[in-house]
Amino acid sequence: MSFFDLKGTLKPLTALKQFGKKPHTISYPKESTEAAERYRGLHYNELEECIGCGNCSIICQNKAIDMIHVEGIEGSGGDSGLRPRVDNGRCCWCALCVEVCPTGSLSLTKDYMYVSDDADSFLFTPGVDNPEGKEILSFTTSDGVSLNTFNRVPMPELEGMERVKSFAEVVLGYNEEMALEEASRCISCGLCTEVCPEHMHIPEYINAIAAGKNDDAVRIIYDNNPLPEMCGKVCTRRCEDVCAIAVRGEAVAIRWLKRYATETAQTAEITKEIVNPEIKEPNGYKVGIVGAGPAGLTAGYYLALRGYDVTIYEANAKAGGMTMYGIPKYRFPLDSLDKQIEYIEKIGVKIKYNTKVGKDISFEKIYTESDAVFMGVGFPEAWTLGIDGEDAKGSMQAVNFLHEVNAGEKIDVGKKVAVIGGGNVAIDAARVSARLGAEVTILYRRRVQDMPADWEEIEGAEQEGINIVPQTIPVKILTDEKGKVKAIEYLMAEMVADDKGGRPKPVAIEGSNKVLELDSIMGAIGQQGDYSFLEGDFEAKIKVERGRIVVDENQQTTDPKVYAGGDAVNRTADAISAIADGFKACKAIDAALAEKR
Amino acid sequence: MREKATTLYFGPQHPGITGNMMIRLKVEGDTIVKATTEVGYLHRAFEKLQEKRNWLQSFTMMCRFCVPETDPMEELYARAVETIEGREVPERAKYIRVMVLELARLASFMLWYGGQNGSLGLYTMGQWSVGDRNYILDLFEELTGGRVYHMYIWPGGVRRDLPKGFEQKVIKTMDYLEKRLGDYDDLMFDNAIFKKRTQGVGIVDKDTAVEHGVVGAVLRGCGIKSDIRIDEPYEVYSKLDFEVPTSEGADIWARALVRRQEARQSIRIIRQVIDMMPGGAVYNKIPNPQKWKLPKGDAYVRVESVRGEVGLYAVSDGGTMPRRIHLRGAAYVHGITLLEDVLVGENIADVSAIMNSLGTCPPEIER
Amino acid sequence: MKEIKAKLIEKIGGSFENVSVKDHDSNRLDFHVDTNVIPQILTFLKVNMGYIHLSHISCVDWIEDGEFEIVYIVWSPTEKLKVFVRTRISREKPLLPNIDMIWRQANTYERELREMYGVEVDGLVADKEFLLEDWEGMPPMRRDFKTEEYAQNTFWSRDGREDAVDVREEIIKRSREEIPDFAKKYSR
Repeated sequence: MSFFDLKGTLKPLTALKQFGKKPHTISYPKESTEAAERYRGLHYNELEECIGCGNCSIICQNKAIDMIHVEGIEGSGGDSGLRPRVDNGRCCWCALCVEVCPTGSLSLTKDYMYVSDDADSFLFTPGVDNPEGKEILSFTTSDGVSLNTFNRVPMPELEGMERVKSFAEVVLGYNEEMALEEASRCISCGLCTEVCPEHMHIPEYINAIAAGKNDDAVRIIYDNNPLPEMCGKVCTRRCEDVCAIAVRGEAVAIRWLKRYATETAQTAEITKEIVNPEIKEPNGYKVGIVGAGPAGLTAGYYLALRGYDVTIYEANAKAGGMTMYGIPKYRFPLDSLDKQIEYIEKIGVKIKYNTKVGKDISFEKIYTESDAVFMGVGFPEAWTLGIDGEDAKGSMQAVNFLHEVNAGEKIDVGKKVAVIGGGNVAIDAARVSARLGAEVTILYRRRVQDMPADWEEIEGAEQEGINIVPQTIPVKILTDEKGKVKAIEYLMAEMVADDKGGRPKPVAIEGSNKVLELDSIMGAIGQQGDYSFLEGDFEAKIKVERGRIVVDENQQTTDPKVYAGGDAVNRTADAISAIADGFKACKAIDAALAEKR
Repeated sequence: MREKATTLYFGPQHPGITGNMMIRLKVEGDTIVKATTEVGYLHRAFEKLQEKRNWLQSFTMMCRFCVPETDPMEELYARAVETIEGREVPERAKYIRVMVLELARLASFMLWYGGQNGSLGLYTMGQWSVGDRNYILDLFEELTGGRVYHMYIWPGGVRRDLPKGFEQKVIKTMDYLEKRLGDYDDLMFDNAIFKKRTQGVGIVDKDTAVEHGVVGAVLRGCGIKSDIRIDEPYEVYSKLDFEVPTSEGADIWARALVRRQEARQSIRIIRQVIDMMPGGAVYNKIPNPQKWKLPKGDAYVRVESVRGEVGLYAVSDGGTMPRRIHLRGAAYVHGITLLEDVLVGENIADVSAIMNSLGTCPPEIER
Repeated sequence: MKEIKAKLIEKIGGSFENVSVKDHDSNRLDFHVDTNVIPQILTFLKVNMGYIHLSHISCVDWIEDGEFEIVYIVWSPTEKLKVFVRTRISREKPLLPNIDMIWRQANTYERELREMYGVEVDGLVADKEFLLEDWEGMPPMRRDFKTEEYAQNTFWSRDGREDAVDVREEIIKRSREEIPDFAKKYSR
């Protein structure tokens, strides 16, 4: 290199050509540019949409998100009542909280200015502190980019028209791979446990399944439910209605996962080995239980574990109550139930079959012999339709029909059957009739979406070729000369909005009469209790109001020694509520008798 | 007057230094006779923290290993996880990743332009290049939602698809930068001061390079053609047409020439990627992160950053959290043993120029 | 790639004892070897086989086995093959042979191993302190180091976050659910 490099001295001077150009980093006067469409700024939370599942606080690797009570937001079923609060001193704006939010309520905004004189004001409750954030949402989640898996693992089932050929179980159950995949969808928030009448430990047993620990799952399930296989197959599963994933997708298949876990314990022996219950020393107290339905069995099981001498009196030849006689076997096979009853008997619960209280044994005898009595008597009697021709031959009650079929009796329903009603009993009766070879029509007074039956059951019925005719009001049953059912006459109805804000009511359309020819007709519009066994003093001592036994929050009736639960008590009329009643009564009886000791 | 050795503390706070580290210099007059590095000012124990977080949470920490060039780290983590799990990445995501990686390289070159000149007292260059880098950061903001920490490349693909009209904006920015690179040449490579200060300074010859495990532009600066994008092509680099420039001088000047060419190659790659980019999904969804388990196994993946080869060794024990995440930074080999050797015999005034030229990045050394 | 791997397996197997090989689908080959032959095997790879680039040295704490696994990753620019040389050493008295005369940068890795895992390296000449300052007690990268406890004892939290509520606890409280102790480990 020469001593004086002329080119090397002059070339850099070309920089002078920039002189006088508009600067491109600083602008005068100052212009502020708007942040980009996806800018990751301060959080915003749509408080109404948020359900307080806390998934954001779990994913946050900086532990920057707390769940707190926010004024004006009360929790209820499906909402914890808590809302996220961000510690802006810790947040790194990775936005994983947005990606895992199951409802999509949490987003980031374009706002990145957070200035305060107060060094302690680093806590920020999105949505509460920045209601205006709604207008400047930037980094948001959509169904496509969410980290939640919104689609359920499909349950393998028998094909629709294949099913009606037999009473084989329709739902085939998950295999291990499916169960693991489905269990991994759960975000373990626990919102479901609140709406479960029995408050089963749902996230815990799902996580045990996800961890491959089916044994632990069974143990957790048996902690407060002695009939899990029944629940795993036919539970009304209100838990799934409030599942956080269900806000934008399909709920985690909680019921099927429970079924999967309990099926890994194939016999009562294995169940006993897994659950390995600790049975307390006999304490000398006797408890008599009327009715071996879910409520009675639950109370009996947990009382026996606590050292009580338990005897259950059951009118029928088999235990299980409505779950035995009311639920068709294609939904809940006999051996599933037998296995669980066998297990309950194995730990020392005595069940006296074919013993109807009030006929084979008096209530008074049970009352005097026992230190406490629990009644889980259910609703055995069907409501009648209250129309002409109901006592004709071929007209029956669906619940009785199911009872007889489940008891193994052969019933001829003919070629054409109509079922009146829209609940699970109606659907069950219809699907059983289809399996007996009939062509079935369901007549329901409201719309299909109003049917109280399980949506999966309704779908199942449709797949099996059952015809559902909504908005129909039966007028009368027509009979032939032999007094046998020939047809039903009904009116079409229109839905009229309820002025008081209730659900729309069906109102018959004048002159829309139709006639449907059939061989059998089944009513399935509800059941009621039969308390005739409460004779003498008990009729007065144990109060019954509007068809239900009156109990306090501990399931105690107006006679302090007598407790009650199940359909005869609660308004929800499902098995899981009965189990919850039985469990509550067990705890109350235990507490009351412990005081005596 | 007799010369006497004295000790100078270079750093840890020094504007000419590439981050917080210290070098104890034993000097005789202006000449360095011994250099000892002292690091530890930036140790954040990320690798330990990652062992306590699940496989998704750990991803957010990756970009923080090295601030000037964050995306290669995300790329490494994503690819390590995908290798262990055997997870497929959609084709479009691969192209987007390459585009992001090259944009990141370009942004990093811009910082280097500023740093290398700034360390020699030529401050205009830094004002230009850092200002121009801002246009790349604008692109990143629009694509990823963040300017510096993008957290965009994650296991399974990338987080979001390109916004509408993004390709045109990238091309526009590339056109602009290409023009500016010419201006930079006038100011820098044709500058007598720059030449004088860099030629024959900070020499890393072939033997030293192999002995010290040198990578990247430093290796190419002494005539060895080595680039992970060619040697072990990842994503879609094998489908792209680009050159790996080398130079023979082995000094700061030679390495600067290599980087000058590389910045142009990056623009070339970005243009190709935008041309070739297929449609389709950008993300192969992972399961619920709380319960996402990786099979037992390990993976070592590498990526070519501006500083050279950066590797990541990830080990899974079959659980929801990493067993071990271990980053191999280019600065880790350049910034300690090599730097200590190269500095001997050099002038005090050249220390920060040499550090810049070797790509010393203390946050990458300490992690 | 297959021939290259086969050739290497044959050469290494012929020259060293107690070598177990694990092949991978990609351009990667794993050798598990005895600790004491590490310098010889790496020298052999570098000088005789062209694996001139030491890419990485890492350590994994397999606490359940009572061992550290040390992984040396070398690369051949001509064969385009990554070779992992692995060895296991006891956690009780971890001692490694020094390899910084083969590759100078190994010195830095070995310093970090010594500081972060407490692995001694025979004949290593370097400052004791690397990243940490005045560190006492267990080397921090060991699995049994209590990270959270350390953080709580060293740093402090700002006040004002005490009102945080656990979602599951809130639900339990509200519905009076009773969770048995053994189930709690499965809670979120």
